[in-house]
Amino acid sequence: MSAVLDEKVTVVQAPAAGSPGRAVLALALFEGRRLLLRLPMLGALALYAVWIGWTAPDYQDGYPALQDADRATQFGPLLVGLAALFCANQAVLRSKRRDTERHFGVLPLEPWRRTAAHALSVVPVALLVAAGVGVQFGWSALKSGAVGSGSPAELLVGPLAVLLFGAFGVLVARLVPSGLAGPLIVLFLFLAAVMVAPSGDGERGAHWLEPVVSDASGNSLPSDLLGRPAAWHALYLAAFALTVALVAMVVAGGRGWALRGALAGALALAVTGGVLQTGALPKSVVTARERASVSPEKVQNCVRRDGSTYCAFPEWSRRVDTWAGVVHEVQSLAGGPAHDQDLVIRQRIDARYGLESDTALQPSAAAHHVTVGTAWGGNRVPEFSTAVASVLVAGSEKATVDLCDGRMVTIMWLGISGLPDPLRSLRNVRLDDSLYGSAIVLSPTNPLGMTAAQTDVVRELLGKDHDEVEARVKAHWTELTAPKVSTARAAALLGATTPKKGLEKCER
Amino acid sequence: MSEAGVLVRELTPVVARTLPWRALAAGAALGLSLAWIPRLPGDGTAAWQSLTILRTAVLAYALGLAFLLDDPARHLTSTVPVRRALRTGLRLALVTPLTVVWWTAVLLLIPSQVRPPWGAVTVEAAAACALALAAGALAVRLTQEPRPGPSVAAALLFTGIVSPLLLPKSWALFVWPQDKRWDTSHERWAWVLAGALTVLLLCLREPVRRLRPLRRGTGSSSPSGV
Repeated sequence: MSAVLDEKVTVVQAPAAGSPGRAVLALALFEGRRLLLRLPMLGALALYAVWIGWTAPDYQDGYPALQDADRATQFGPLLVGLAALFCANQAVLRSKRRDTERHFGVLPLEPWRRTAAHALSVVPVALLVAAGVGVQFGWSALKSGAVGSGSPAELLVGPLAVLLFGAFGVLVARLVPSGLAGPLIVLFLFLAAVMVAPSGDGERGAHWLEPVVSDASGNSLPSDLLGRPAAWHALYLAAFALTVALVAMVVAGGRGWALRGALAGALALAVTGGVLQTGALPKSVVTARERASVSPEKVQNCVRRDGSTYCAFPEWSRRVDTWAGVVHEVQSLAGGPAHDQDLVIRQRIDARYGLESDTALQPSAAAHHVTVGTAWGGNRVPEFSTAVASVLVAGSEKATVDLCDGRMVTIMWLGISGLPDPLRSLRNVRLDDSLYGSAIVLSPTNPLGMTAAQTDVVRELLGKDHDEVEARVKAHWTELTAPKVSTARAAALLGATTPKKGLEKCER
Repeated sequence: MSEAGVLVRELTPVVARTLPWRALAAGAALGLSLAWIPRLPGDGTAAWQSLTILRTAVLAYALGLAFLLDDPARHLTSTVPVRRALRTGLRLALVTPLTVVWWTAVLLLIPSQVRPPWGAVTVEAAAACALALAAGALAVRLTQEPRPGPSVAAALLFTGIVSPLLLPKSWALFVWPQDKRWDTSHERWAWVLAGALTVLLLCLREPVRRLRPLRRGTGSSSPSGV
């Protein structure tokens, strides 16, 4: 007899040939998690967070111009980018180092798709950096003293630079499969970042090909005068990162027509962005800068507060009330006609050189005109209040240029005594941060000079009873503000000790 | 010839063959090409730039040195009668003269009018190289990894980039020659060098008792599992 074979046909389900896209995504998620948890990456992210916490709260003395705050987010991500370059490089080389390349070789996922997953694994880092940029910019934007507006393209530069660096690490690993190549390239890039200063190239030019383009000046300008091709630069960075990643995939053996087409498209975009951002500065920006510098009244809005006129660039009009508070404070201490004098507070900039250099403003010759800059907070407050006091005493900014007599005592007392911490303000407003001896006093336009004798008198007056000095200032206003009044006479009128002779040399 | 002498003579070519020549050559080549920068035609190099170049060149070479103690056959060689200290010592002895030659070449490549004081910079360079070797030795001593080079290089690179930015100014390790703390700074560098060399010497021995990661439920020596 023969046994009856009860043959059951078991159908072995072959693993569904799922789309390779899902496998790439799964691998990218896995690699992305590993990349985030590498020690250098954790260190870089921690440093980035510390950097944000360190710089963001007091950016521009708490009165940020948002068109500067967006650019201030671009440097921190570079450190994370270097870590991404290094870690992505090591991650691609891991299979070679651990000798698992042979095992991967039998899997259906081709090397170029694995390369794509490695390039994608940088995306979570870039998202984290984007969150960091958002926090840093939001910190400035939520300040009550914030003015202006940020540019999304400038904010994108940080995350895009991280993507570019990560893709570069993957490409280097495919070109030079050695563990030392990554660190050496990081070192070289770091040196290049330290050593290559943007100089001599003008505002546009080849230095826009660098991932982050800084500018030499600390001036704030209205956002329409910046003339930075931020959108083209963001496009250039994004397309460049994509190009590098696609080249890495081609090097790893990708040969599909879609891949080649994408590479050609990305390259075309990168070249377009790269060429357009380096082109000459538009004529319209040059003329707008000229107009804002030479005849600001054509672009400014003027409002009246307490009889005085405040003219500011539209983006700064929110700050008028802050200025008016300081002017009111100084004017309430003045006597004679100055007490009710109508002033014109005009915001002035010199934008003709863009962000390339800091330029000094010429003092205004018009009577009762006071200049205010674009920055505020910190030392800018006593500088402005001193300028207001000097115009109230001398009549105009031009008249204070060679002022070197007893009027300086009145100017400094008027300007400083109304501020919260007068002695600290006095120290801040003097160029050498001193409380003794002669010094140069900063102001929005031309600096003033204080002699050692005047410094002694002002310091003594700031220590005296405020109301008593105020009454004396108002009572003797005409004599105190007369040209050529001596410091000794001013001190006597204000009830201070007469200074010793021989300390009357103005510093210029 | 003594027994040790014979041993060293026989070991030298073998050890020389296992050195990471490519990593060392890459680091040295990058360092030399960096030192070439001041000689390029252009508007000249400032003194601070030449010091930065020298420091970067040293870091590049030190990154190569971080791979020096990599030993792919480590798990096989841990049981051979020749001590690890001797083999590591041979590696160091082979590399030291090359390092001296390389450093001299780098110093000579920097034009003399912008060259920082060479003695002080040499102390810095020696400290950086010793730190790289000490980190490598420490990694070999504390881990089971046969090739800790990439991780050591990463740590060194991270330290090298971040410490000039983050170390307190009062430590004064990274100063310019005009700084009046230049001499005290290099006394500190000498201490760093001495500390790194001490760590290197302490880590030369083969780790006999290995650090085991703590695991629950496995590896218990008691038969009852308690």
